[in-house]
Amino acid sequence: MAEPGRIQIGAESLEASWFLMLAALLFTLGSIGVLVRRNPLVILVCIELMLNAVNLTLITFARQLQNLEGQLFALMVMVVAAAEAVVGLAILVDIFRVRDVDDIDELSELKG
Amino acid sequence: MIAQAVFWAMAALAVAGAVGVIASRQPIRSVLSLVVVMLALSVLFLLLSAQFVFAVQVIVYAGAVMVLFLFVVALLGPIRERGGGRLRFQWGLSVLVAAVFVALQGAVLQGMRFRAPSEGVDLAVFGTVQDIGVRLFTTYLYPFELTSILLLVAAVGAIYLSRGVRAGGRSSRPEPASPDHPPARHDRGTTSRPQRGRSG
Repeated sequence: MAEPGRIQIGAESLEASWFLMLAALLFTLGSIGVLVRRNPLVILVCIELMLNAVNLTLITFARQLQNLEGQLFALMVMVVAAAEAVVGLAILVDIFRVRDVDDIDELSELKG
Repeated sequence: MIAQAVFWAMAALAVAGAVGVIASRQPIRSVLSLVVVMLALSVLFLLLSAQFVFAVQVIVYAGAVMVLFLFVVALLGPIRERGGGRLRFQWGLSVLVAAVFVALQGAVLQGMRFRAPSEGVDLAVFGTVQDIGVRLFTTYLYPFELTSILLLVAAVGAIYLSRGVRAGGRSSRPEPASPDHPPARHDRGTTSRPQRGRSG
């Protein structure tokens, strides 16, 4: 019986922390993208990256605890991500129909 | 050995793709880099015995959602991001914040003790279509139905948003054609361009 923090795959075992660290790194890279990029489309892409990183965490814990609920929650996250992408891109196309936006700071009409 | 090699190769690929997402100047390269990240992650899902999530990730996510992004990139044309501009200090500041964040996560993971896995789970069927399907249609039927409503709402919202509303508040649906007045051609390029550049 392997220790709890390791994931047994065939004859060898992997450290669950490696997966979690990778997910943390990807999430951080996505958040850097949201912070520094100006193009609204690229910001949406970076949000997708962050959602994927969270999915990796959920699936890692599902496997480590041998509990399927993590995978089901990852599927729900995918559904929400798809809905978010569809609505976000529709809003973006609507905005671009009126004018070109190459910096998200230009969309400040609601600031008052 | 093989599983470790697969893990490190896919981890390197995912991180490289993520750097490509945030560092490339053109949006289309960001989107394609994200596809690389998603495919690398899908292999990791397979490693973690999540076969169904792997298939969904490849088909729905890397397939459908990313194609939607590519469509929008192609529709909007090449937009180059202006370098510099206001808030130039954002780069340094956000890298600093991210470094602190990663360090905190590493510290948390160092001292983490995992709970013991639950007993009596057959790993041969864990995460298969059968396993997921049984759970989804018994215990989690209510959330499953809610997701279908969510998707319906998103589809209706996207159609409503992309239908386009003209200045008079009318929709862009073509008027019924009459013989002496052919329907006005609402070309999206010509009707809306005058407002461009208002923001200065």
